[in-house]
Amino acid sequence: MYQRTNIYLSPDLKMSEIITNNHYILLLLEHFGIGLPLQDKSLNKVCEENNLNIELFLTFANLYNGLKYSPKAPLSYSNTPVIVNYLENSHKYYSEEIYPNILSTIKQMAEVNNHKEMSLVPKFFIDYFNEVTEHLDYENEVVFPYVLDLFEQVKNLKHTRRKIQYSVVEYKEHHNDIEEKLNDLKSLIIKYLPQKNDQSVRRKLLFLLSELEYDLNIHSKIEDLILIPLVAEMESHLNISK
Amino acid sequence: MKKNTNIIVVETSPLVIEGLSGIFNKSGLRCSLSFASTLELLEFLIPKNKAELVIINPSFFQNSPKAFNTIKNQLNQVKWIGLQYSYFDPKILYVFDALITISDTPESIIAIINKLLVDESPHLQNSSQDVLSERETDVLKLLATGMANKEIADKLNISTNTVITHRKNISQKTGIKSVSGLTIYAVVQKLVSIETLSD
Repeated sequence: MYQRTNIYLSPDLKMSEIITNNHYILLLLEHFGIGLPLQDKSLNKVCEENNLNIELFLTFANLYNGLKYSPKAPLSYSNTPVIVNYLENSHKYYSEEIYPNILSTIKQMAEVNNHKEMSLVPKFFIDYFNEVTEHLDYENEVVFPYVLDLFEQVKNLKHTRRKIQYSVVEYKEHHNDIEEKLNDLKSLIIKYLPQKNDQSVRRKLLFLLSELEYDLNIHSKIEDLILIPLVAEMESHLNISK
Repeated sequence: MKKNTNIIVVETSPLVIEGLSGIFNKSGLRCSLSFASTLELLEFLIPKNKAELVIINPSFFQNSPKAFNTIKNQLNQVKWIGLQYSYFDPKILYVFDALITISDTPESIIAIINKLLVDESPHLQNSSQDVLSERETDVLKLLATGMANKEIADKLNISTNTVITHRKNISQKTGIKSVSGLTIYAVVQKLVSIETLSD
């Protein structure tokens, strides 16, 4: 996990300051659909301008700063659409930006370093990327619509019985697999793959992998610690039982 | 240190609890921490969490040394570290395996704990040599050619469970868990040739 001086986040801090302290917060903002520049606006102000609940923002930002998720009060279900939107945006960042970026860097590495075992790495990553895509598609197409549907029902208090379409346990295992192979790749690059002419491209690759790993780690925490409990709460509210 | 160590901290001050959590979090020490606010809770948690190490403020038992001695004698496999805020009678401190004080740096606290854990189990030091055994290498070679656990077990005349144990050790030593990742490792280490891979 990325180590930084932890600053205690309060709503009147400047948003720019907390990004300077931990630049990964930039990803957090992007996933919330918030762009730069931020001038000297406070966290409160930025959230207000973007219709974002400050408590939700602080919760996520604390996770990004490496703090444990320990809410004073559980987040209200009314945050559900914003959370789902956040997760969808991060999926877009994975599938359209960082994974393709990593793949092309791996290909670059295999090109400059022509050890024959290097040719196995792009294949490893493509297979892995396919697995990840499958998981992201599943969430986009099954989990998120289901969660939003639940939210609408709770909001409108329509007591209709629905079947649960996925299992929380299965869901968590997906995440472990995704992070596991990423770790394997890092081990291979750092410890085992022979080096040849690829110092800078390999470093670039490692930095990209760390960026992805950082965001994925928080992403699964948000899903496992925040979204799933919200879903459970809404389900019990609607008396949906397994 | 390959093994996860279960540690219980007996403490009531949130400052100290948060501080210790932070220090452990950053130390890279493989451990899980739990907290107890009373001796009763400690007694309950030690067997439940299979705790091997207890960090405790001596003030918890300075008025009831007998109760403490009873707990300590029942659990002779547990190591005890005293956490001192202030001066205590050396006779009380004598019961501890090690001491840390409130002004110690994070590094020295972790060093004290590490030393205690390593002394306790010298075999752990050996296991940190990350060289695969002959049998593990055999398993890895077959794994890399695409064989399932059951097939490997039949081929090597061992049980499937033994194969699984070997695989766990291989992953722990190499830092690689997936079959596809291990396959690349096996090629790089010249255990299998790239031509023999299934696809």
